[in-house]
Amino acid sequence: MALAADIVSWVLMGSGAILALIAGLGVLRLPDVFTRMHAAGIGDTLAAGLILGGLMVQGGFSLVTIKLIFVFLLLQMTSPTSTHALAKAALTGRVKPKLADELEAERSKR
Amino acid sequence: MLAFLVVTAIAIVRLRNLFAVVMLSGAYSLIAATIFVILDAVDVAFTEAAVGAGITTVLLLGTLVLTDREEKAPKTRNYWPLGVVLLTGAALVYATLDMPNFADPNAPANRHVAPRYLADTVPQHPSGAPVKVGVPNVVTSILASYRGYDTLGEVTVIFTAGIGVLLLLGTPARKEAPDPTKRKAPARKRPNRRKPEAKPGETAEGSP
Amino acid sequence: MKHHFILRVIAKFAIPFILLYALYVQFHGDFGPGGGFQAGVIFAAAFILYALIFGMEKARHAAPSAAIRLGIALGVLIYAGTGVAGILLGGKFLDYSVLAHDPTHGQHLGILIVEFGVGLTVASVMIAVFFAFASRPRSEG
Repeated sequence: MALAADIVSWVLMGSGAILALIAGLGVLRLPDVFTRMHAAGIGDTLAAGLILGGLMVQGGFSLVTIKLIFVFLLLQMTSPTSTHALAKAALTGRVKPKLADELEAERSKR
Repeated sequence: MLAFLVVTAIAIVRLRNLFAVVMLSGAYSLIAATIFVILDAVDVAFTEAAVGAGITTVLLLGTLVLTDREEKAPKTRNYWPLGVVLLTGAALVYATLDMPNFADPNAPANRHVAPRYLADTVPQHPSGAPVKVGVPNVVTSILASYRGYDTLGEVTVIFTAGIGVLLLLGTPARKEAPDPTKRKAPARKRPNRRKPEAKPGETAEGSP
Repeated sequence: MKHHFILRVIAKFAIPFILLYALYVQFHGDFGPGGGFQAGVIFAAAFILYALIFGMEKARHAAPSAAIRLGIALGVLIYAGTGVAGILLGGKFLDYSVLAHDPTHGQHLGILIVEFGVGLTVASVMIAVFFAFASRPRSEG
C-alpha cells in the first residue's frame, strides 16, 4: 500500500517536474508574447498542481494534506488569473500577435 | 540555489531595462527565501518572501511609473568597484573557512545565551525546569520578549521611513494637486481656493 | 473597469481570505512562523490588490489617509505603551512578566500586544507608501 502511494506520488511529481521544464523551455524559445504566456500558464497551473498532488499523496490523510489542498486551490485560482491579466495587459499595450498580419490578410480576402 | 542567486544578481546589474530589473529583483528575493527555508529559518524566509517578492516589487513598480524605463548608459567604464567587491568577497569567504560548522552545538553563538533561551521558552513538563516565557515559537519569543527593545527600534525605523515617504511625496488633498506645505489643514471652513481672484483683498489662506 | 471582469471577481473572492490569512499569521506568531512583520505586509498586500483592481478612489474610501496616519503612530504607541505599562506596574521597561497574574501569562500577553502594535504599524506604513506613490500624476502610462 505504501509502495503504491509512493509510485503514484513519484509519477505525479515526476510529470509535474517534466512539465515545468517544458514550460520553462517554452517561455524561452517560443516566438511571441502570447505563446510564451501560454507556456508560462502551463508551468504555473498544471505543473505546480501536479507537484502538489504528488506531495499530497505523500502526506497521507493529515493536516499537512489539508493545507496542501488549500495551497492547490489558491494556485488554481491565482495563476490563471495572472496569465489572463498579462494577456489583457499585452492586448491593451497593443502588442500584436505574431500571426496578426496573416490573419488580417485572410480576413480581408474573405 | 546560490548559483541561481549569483546569476540573478549579475543579470540585475547588467540589465538596463528597469522593468526587467524590478521583476528580477522579485525573483532574487524568492530565491533568497528558498535558501532560507533550506537553512531551516522559516520565519526569516516568510518575511523575505512577503516583503521582498511581494511589497518591494509592487512599490518598485510604482516608482517606475514616476521615472524612466531605461537606465542611462554609464559614461565611463570603471573597474575599481568590481575589484573592491571581489577582494571583499574573497576576504569574507576566507573568514568563513575559520567559522565553526553550521549548527554546531559547540559554537560560541550557540553556547552563550541560546541554551537558556531554548530551555526557558519551550513549555516544559510541570516537573521540569521553570517555564519563563512559554511561547513555542522561539524566534517570536526572542524577537518580542528577550530582545524586545531591539524590536521597538525596528518598529520606530519603519515608522520613521513611513513618515519620511509621506513628507517627501505628500498626502494629496481630495481634489487638488498634492501640496506638501498645506498638508496639515485644520478642520475649519476656509474660502474656496479654486477662485482666488474672486474677491480682491481676501488672501488665499482665509482665516488666521 | 467593467472590462476587468475576471480580475474583479477573483479579487473580490480572494481579498477577504488574504485579510484572514494576515490575521492568522499575526496571532499564530506564537506557535508557528509568523508574527507582526509578516502579518502587516500581507495585510497591506490585500489593500494594494484592492487599489490596483478597483481604482484609487475606492481604495481611499476603504483606507482613508487619516486612519492610515493614525495607524502608523498607534502601532508604535502600543509597543512603547506596553513598555511603559511594565514600568507603571512595578517592573522594568518592556518587562512583560508583571502584566498579568502570572509571569508566563504576562509574557504571553505582552508578546501578543507588542506583535499587534508591530503589525499595525507595518501594515499602515506599507499602505501609506503605496498610496503616496500611486497618487502621483503619472508621467507616463
